[in-house]
Amino acid sequence: MKWREIVEPAIVFVLLALLWEKAVAIFGIKRYLLPPLSEVLATLWQGRAMILREAWITSGEIVLGYFWAILAGLLLGLGIFAWPTMRRTLYPLIVLFQGLPKVALAPLLVIWFGYGLTSKVLMAFLFAFFPVVVATLGGLAGTPDHLLEHFRAIRASPMTTFVRLRIPAALPSILDGCKTAMPLAVIGAIVGEFVASEHGLGHLILEANANAKTDLLFAALIAISILAGVLYVLVELAAKRVWWRAL
Amino acid sequence: MAGPVAGQPAIRLREVSKTFAGAQRVQALGAVTFDVAQGEFTSVLGPSGCGKSTLLRIIAGLISPDGGASVEVMGHPQSAPSDDVGVVFQTHNLLPWLTVEKNIRLAAEVRRLPAAEIERRVASILPVLRLDGFRRAYPHQLSGGMRQRAALGQILVLLPQVLLLDEPFGALDALTRDQLNVELLRLWQELRKTVLLVTHSIPEAVFLSDRVLVMSDRPGRVIEDVPIELPRPRDPQATKERPEFARYVIHLQKLMGVA
Repeated sequence: MKWREIVEPAIVFVLLALLWEKAVAIFGIKRYLLPPLSEVLATLWQGRAMILREAWITSGEIVLGYFWAILAGLLLGLGIFAWPTMRRTLYPLIVLFQGLPKVALAPLLVIWFGYGLTSKVLMAFLFAFFPVVVATLGGLAGTPDHLLEHFRAIRASPMTTFVRLRIPAALPSILDGCKTAMPLAVIGAIVGEFVASEHGLGHLILEANANAKTDLLFAALIAISILAGVLYVLVELAAKRVWWRAL
Repeated sequence: MAGPVAGQPAIRLREVSKTFAGAQRVQALGAVTFDVAQGEFTSVLGPSGCGKSTLLRIIAGLISPDGGASVEVMGHPQSAPSDDVGVVFQTHNLLPWLTVEKNIRLAAEVRRLPAAEIERRVASILPVLRLDGFRRAYPHQLSGGMRQRAALGQILVLLPQVLLLDEPFGALDALTRDQLNVELLRLWQELRKTVLLVTHSIPEAVFLSDRVLVMSDRPGRVIEDVPIELPRPRDPQATKERPEFARYVIHLQKLMGVA
């Protein structure tokens, strides 16, 4: 059964790649609009050292932003759940803030934090943290009533109930939030690089565009999707450790 | 922990009623008064919605009755959960992320019992519940019947004197349910606990109990107290073939208005 999971998507993948390659030739599409895949792959291979360097910088921004998003999301979720005051005051603000198009904040972040790493990390963070807050809140509030009653029956303290029941019961939901947050962190970092940067895959795309190197632009896009895929799979693997789902 | 007071009933209820306030006030339980002797197996029989579960929750100290009521368990007023009473509900309370053994240990760990004592109790409970081979299994790997036995283990680890069972096998198929009822009787005889079982199955109540309390529709009241004088130990076949068994069943059916 396992081989089908690898072979079937691989076949579709190869077919689409062939379609791309042939369509460019058959329809005579101009190379600055859509270069053939073979050319894109050649560019990717020739520029691999440079692309890897840029990808490394972008990964750093993503991973740092993601890390802080998870940490802040968890703490905010816990805090909002545990303290009614925080729920009344901070939560509406966060929701309101969430409504802002975060792309619009990028120029401000550049003014405040400059062209370097910090502004990109903050963009990744801003894109990624909200789903973690919501998932943490939902998970904590969703503890089944009959289990809460059981903990009351065995006279567990609120702290014990929190640590031994609410948190493990919330973990599947929290990890769903973390999974949602990963691609958002990627988007955040790239958007940050788009607005102002000297490095990274987002910057590479802008540069390729400015120089009409469409093949390099596609190479950068492929690099980004590979990077996003790898990061997502890593999160998914970590999340597999929490296997309990329905209670 | 205070010990049992000699000569006292295990459960003593006087004028226990419960009204739920809300958008509209609902009286779930009328004035319920009865005693359950220590070591007795008593069933509470009643139509659904008659407040049986509310009654068990009150005895367990999980919710408080209306003013004027008196609830005593093992001679002590029961106003909050205590280690004297253990409740098992129809929905089991096993934590899916813990193995059977860890689920059974949980209550004892929460009560901060010494490790050696927890070890000793778990080691004695697993064979009684026939869960020896499944201590490292997770709840989702067990059959419905095994899950309910493990749920019983979660409660037995605190060595409660009084077991309150709220249709514990209600969600299981008929065959498994009969088997578990036989095991429940064996367990009751081995452990010498007081059992109060809530059920809506008349044959089940007759087969298991020393006494059946019949409750009315909401607000629930005890309308009859029927002693079941069938010899023990009870055999699942032989007992049900006795003419008195059928007579009890028919009598209770009439009381409940189903015959």
